[in-house]
Amino acid sequence: MIKIENLSHTYKNKNGDRVALKNINLQIEKGESVVFIGSSGSGKSTLLKAINRLIEPSSGKIWINGEDILDSPIKKVCQIRGKIGMIFQNFNLLERETVFANALNGRLRYNKNFNIVLNRFFPQDDVAIVENSLEMVGLADYHNDRVVDLSGGQKQRVAIARALSQNPEIILADEPVSNLDPKLMKEIMDLLTNICLKKGLTLLVSLHFLDFIKKYGSRIIGMKNGEIVFDGCSADLTEKDLINIYGETEDWHLYGKTGF
Amino acid sequence: MAKLVFKGRYRKLFIGLLIVGIYYWAVSGTGTNPVNFIEGIPFMVDFVSRMFPPDISNLGKFLLKTLETLQMAIVGSTLGALIALPLSFLAARNVMPNKFVYHAVRGIFDTCRGINEIVWGLIFVSMVGLGPFPGVLALAAHVTGALGRYFSEAIETVDSEIIKAIVSTGANKFQVIVRGILPQVKPLFINYVFYYLENNFRAATVLGLVGAGGIGMELITSMRLFRNQEVLTILIIMVLGVVAIDRFSAYVRKKIIRIERLE
Repeated sequence: MIKIENLSHTYKNKNGDRVALKNINLQIEKGESVVFIGSSGSGKSTLLKAINRLIEPSSGKIWINGEDILDSPIKKVCQIRGKIGMIFQNFNLLERETVFANALNGRLRYNKNFNIVLNRFFPQDDVAIVENSLEMVGLADYHNDRVVDLSGGQKQRVAIARALSQNPEIILADEPVSNLDPKLMKEIMDLLTNICLKKGLTLLVSLHFLDFIKKYGSRIIGMKNGEIVFDGCSADLTEKDLINIYGETEDWHLYGKTGF
Repeated sequence: MAKLVFKGRYRKLFIGLLIVGIYYWAVSGTGTNPVNFIEGIPFMVDFVSRMFPPDISNLGKFLLKTLETLQMAIVGSTLGALIALPLSFLAARNVMPNKFVYHAVRGIFDTCRGINEIVWGLIFVSMVGLGPFPGVLALAAHVTGALGRYFSEAIETVDSEIIKAIVSTGANKFQVIVRGILPQVKPLFINYVFYYLENNFRAATVLGLVGAGGIGMELITSMRLFRNQEVLTILIIMVLGVVAIDRFSAYVRKKIIRIERLE
């Protein structure tokens, strides 16, 4: 369970401060599938990154399964992060390394420092878990391929395998399909949501493609200027809400919208 | 005070005169003189002609001494690289938030690098006596400074987004360095180490001049005794040695680092 209380964040900058999150209050139950929508700069990404403390929020509290991640010593933070798998828009993989080595990084938290120097020093249990994750994302045959040789869709699969190798309870996906073509978008989103459903994982994902929103999110959170302006089930999301979130536009088709 | 303002062609004339002035100052100060150079050509021809034919009566000894120089280069470079590797993380702004440590380690690198191998050689010869060992120490000291600087600058250019991904798995700082930063800088590190191996072979030769062993010591002995034919033999061996190391490092780099071809 994730509980967020009075969370605010301001990016300090030489050219002036920019408020990214304003007093966010939110509770997400275990196993929920939540889609975050909103224009670029609305605070979705900042919010997701605050949840596993990749950024230090200016104020507020975040509890992960009852543990306050913002008020924990670094050892505890690492432990909490281990239970949260994260997937990024740009995959964020080590391109020159193999698929296996990248996925193996999901096991870091479970290993002593001296274990991790070379891939072959990881215990057999870890290797088995990583192999299982690679199989789940359909990359069992790509074990020793270098990431640089893979397509965009395959790269995101490696990133998903890395997150799954953590044995996570929560998956944070920050625009995971924004760099992919529409067919791959669907493929990756199907894969991600199916795995989360099967394993009972909590999924927090930010998306731009409106047709996907209703399909993949049981709950939708709309953000605008760092505030939550919509929070409800997908059936409740109306055209008026979308206009409130994204602003008035004639170009809904650009968001992949085929009808309300 | 009135400000001097040069306009149009006066400005160009002034800059032209300034440049000529700087060159006159530098050339006259160093005694650079084409007449002297041309007049000296017969002496050079005489000197070089006395080098021929190369004297190979001591070839075996020279080759053994060249191997000693190679050994010095290998041990010196490796030792320097091993010292520089952990220190370079302390001198990288993105890894070391403590400014005092950052500046202190960079200061150590600057000192090591700022002192020439020859001077290090003199210092270590006085410390541990003549022979290849002070040469190894001299190379290691200089290489620590040079590689430390290049390593830390490479570390500062890593992709921070990839680091975030490793951090997000719950990895601690050491794990982030080993699994997130090192893989990104590995190809550059290997390049630098091989560059310095070749560089150190040349430097190790010169180190013989201060009594730090190897082929350089033979070179200075032969030169002092005016055995010019032996000098030529040694010079040929040294050039071939540098070429051999260059070829070898190119081969190894190709094997370790896959170089993506530009289509």
